[in-house]
Amino acid sequence: MIVMDNLIKYFDAVHALDGLSLTAKDGQVTGLIGPNGAGKTTAFRIVYGLLMADQGRALVDEVDVAENRMLAQRQLGVMPDVRGLYPRLTAREHIRYFGQLHGSNGQDLEADIEDLVHRLGMTEFADRRAKGFSRGQELKVALGRAMVHRPKNLILDEPTNGLDVMSSRAVRELIGEMKAEGHCILISSHIMSEVSALCDHLVIVANGRKVAEGSPDELRDMVGVKDLEDVFVNILAIHEPQVSGTQP
Amino acid sequence: MNKTTFVRLMAVFKKELVDHTRDRRSLMLALIYPMLGPLLVGGALFLAGKTLQGDFRDQYIYVPVVGIDYVPELKAYMEEQNVRFVPAPTSREDQELGVREGFLPVVMLVPKSAQGQDRFDVEFITNTGRVDNLRVTLRLGTILGRYNHKKADEIAHAAGLQKGYTNVITLTRTNVAQDANIAVFFYTMMPPLMIFMIFLGGVHIAIDTTVGERERGSLEPLLLAPVERWVLLLAKTGAAFVFTAVSALVNVVAFRLFMDWATLSTDKLTGPPDWNVFVYAFVIAIPLMVIAVTLQMSVAVITRSMKEAQIYLGLLPLIPALPGMVMVFTPVDPTSISAAVPILGQMLILNQLVLGQTIDTVQLVSATISTLVSAVLIFLLAAKWFRREKMFVLG
Repeated sequence: MIVMDNLIKYFDAVHALDGLSLTAKDGQVTGLIGPNGAGKTTAFRIVYGLLMADQGRALVDEVDVAENRMLAQRQLGVMPDVRGLYPRLTAREHIRYFGQLHGSNGQDLEADIEDLVHRLGMTEFADRRAKGFSRGQELKVALGRAMVHRPKNLILDEPTNGLDVMSSRAVRELIGEMKAEGHCILISSHIMSEVSALCDHLVIVANGRKVAEGSPDELRDMVGVKDLEDVFVNILAIHEPQVSGTQP
Repeated sequence: MNKTTFVRLMAVFKKELVDHTRDRRSLMLALIYPMLGPLLVGGALFLAGKTLQGDFRDQYIYVPVVGIDYVPELKAYMEEQNVRFVPAPTSREDQELGVREGFLPVVMLVPKSAQGQDRFDVEFITNTGRVDNLRVTLRLGTILGRYNHKKADEIAHAAGLQKGYTNVITLTRTNVAQDANIAVFFYTMMPPLMIFMIFLGGVHIAIDTTVGERERGSLEPLLLAPVERWVLLLAKTGAAFVFTAVSALVNVVAFRLFMDWATLSTDKLTGPPDWNVFVYAFVIAIPLMVIAVTLQMSVAVITRSMKEAQIYLGLLPLIPALPGMVMVFTPVDPTSISAAVPILGQMLILNQLVLGQTIDTVQLVSATISTLVSAVLIFLLAAKWFRREKMFVLG
């Protein structure tokens, strides 16, 4: 379970987070959606220990990230928006490297890598260097890297960004499987159809604040429209008129 | 450091080694660039050997001359010394221009007033800025000096005085320099060039593994791993150190081989110092390698882009190498204070080593300790900077 409790974060004069709170439960997919600059990435970075909140706290399986960053990171698998692969390492080497950094090694690690290679459909390119990988291949490597230590909690930033239809579907299926296995999954996405299909719970943020939350159906009922994109735009129009024209 | 931390440190260290041995730029810096300095010095030494060294007394030199027929005795004497005369341009302007531009090695001028005289003036128009010109001028000066002594002896003898009467001082030179010739000058170029290479060898890795990772977007996933930041930086520093050490090793071996090659062409140039001197040079330089990579890491960590890091780290090697280049021309011996100055201490000691001087153990130890302690402090500073949020927010 991931908890953000009244997170406040400043970057000099910029108020990036303004008391953001949310809970992402186990066995659920929680979507964090908002316009660009709303504070989604900052909130994620605080949860995975890259940034320190000025106020408030982030908990991963009840571990306070600020107090015990490394223990919290052990419970987390993260796929940032920028995949950040090493062009001269193979897909398999990427996964092995991050497995080792999480403390795995030997036969167990190799078995986990093999399992991920098959599960993520990476057999064809597992031993190819990452330079020249398609976005879909990059994403699969980044996912494998995030999952190699079998984390209970997953943060996926734009998990299908730039993927073709087939790859997007494969990723959605994978997220569904992990949810069924009881993982806590926190995603950020701009694709409303994906959010609608995947998420059990949605948190809409604007200007560093939570402006609405609930299941997709609850939000539809609340606004009184059927299309989730319209829900998003209408909610933003109420709370942040100046950003209501922004893409979700 | 516990076992878990060590295992993770080694994972990062190995990854960086594998990654960069697959990188052409890192390999070029470690394996090819270190040969360029020795190749240049070896080439220059080879040419200098050809130009300055060797027994030229057996070879003819051709001297453009005006008026040599006015002094037939001197002409005969010089021809005995393998000097051959060729006509020089008649105008003073052409003579000076020819020497200045290098068309003529020297011009010897004997005035008409010298005809039939025991004492007369001789003028050389010379250009000592050119090595070939200098060689001819020095040899002509030596021949004329001998002629002067010979004539002075004859005059003294005619006056009933003993031979050598006119020689107040008879000078004997004993050169105690280990290698009493120009080759030593070139050997002293090794320390500054070696230091330059040490500050260049691992620079690509320092940049690529820090600010490069940030630009590529791979730093963020890396920092999500449950590893202390200083451990990550230490592993990356270790990888940069390996590449620096390899480049220093290639550099030292190349120096020895190219210097050997350059001096093989003549038996008049002293060969380079023994291999053991080069081994000592490498060992003495190890603290320099450590401080070089920590400096590179600290600069790379605080810069905002790879381009910025490349600019700063491209200039960094000049700072320690410049004093070394100055010392080529004005050698400085280490004192207990200067030897304890980080980097400078190693440079002074390396210079002593190459010159074949005795190295003071206390000075060597103080140089080693001061440089290593400085390296540790610089690393701690870099590790502190590596923890800053700015490190990632910029990315």
